[in-house]
Amino acid sequence: MSKLTIKTEGDLHVVVTRHFNAPPQAVYRAHIEPTLIQRWMLGPDGWTMPVCTNEARPGGKIRFEWRGPDGSGFYLTGEYLELEPYSRIVHIERMHLPDTTPDNHVETRFDPDGSGTLMTMRMTLPDAETRSMMLASGMEHGMEASYVRLEGLI
Amino acid sequence: MQLAEPFAMTQPAISRHLKVLENAGLIVRRIQGAKRPCRLSSAGIETVDRWLAMLRDALAQNYDRLDGVLADMVENGEELK
Repeated sequence: MSKLTIKTEGDLHVVVTRHFNAPPQAVYRAHIEPTLIQRWMLGPDGWTMPVCTNEARPGGKIRFEWRGPDGSGFYLTGEYLELEPYSRIVHIERMHLPDTTPDNHVETRFDPDGSGTLMTMRMTLPDAETRSMMLASGMEHGMEASYVRLEGLI
Repeated sequence: MQLAEPFAMTQPAISRHLKVLENAGLIVRRIQGAKRPCRLSSAGIETVDRWLAMLRDALAQNYDRLDGVLADMVENGEELK
């Protein structure tokens, strides 16, 4: 059973939903506490995140560095715009592959869903032109190792 | 002109939208006399599909791992801290 849904919305958005069997508090914390983030936000098997800076406050900095099985790596930087414990996070992120991708604006919501949580992540992508550059760049550098996306298109 | 007909937009506005799609590699245009016939670029559409498929795979793996992290939190009674 696939619990993940991912769909495009208009020209500029990608919306991802996923149910988790834990309350919103736990899912929210797993998105902002470095020791928890480093256990799951890793992309394909074999990748690790040796550096995880995550200042969970408005204006706080984000820096995730990933290392692949062959020693190669790339990183992501970003800033937090809004945090509403334990329901909503808004941040901006960009990948460094090493070329820098355009900013990806991401709103992540955590809503109670039965005894668990429905997470809805809405990415706002750059315009179609920069999006295509990003697609080409992501393909070259194996962007499958992380979000996006997308985290811009991502 | 034909593409503009169904839309409440001026011809120059339609042209600008087509230019964006062309630059993004999603459509291909050629010159045929005074006409500029368009067709969808299958390579461009395929790139978008492949990117979405990669994003789905990466997210699916991340969230399957997150299920494990959350289960540990619940087991240790840390999920509401």
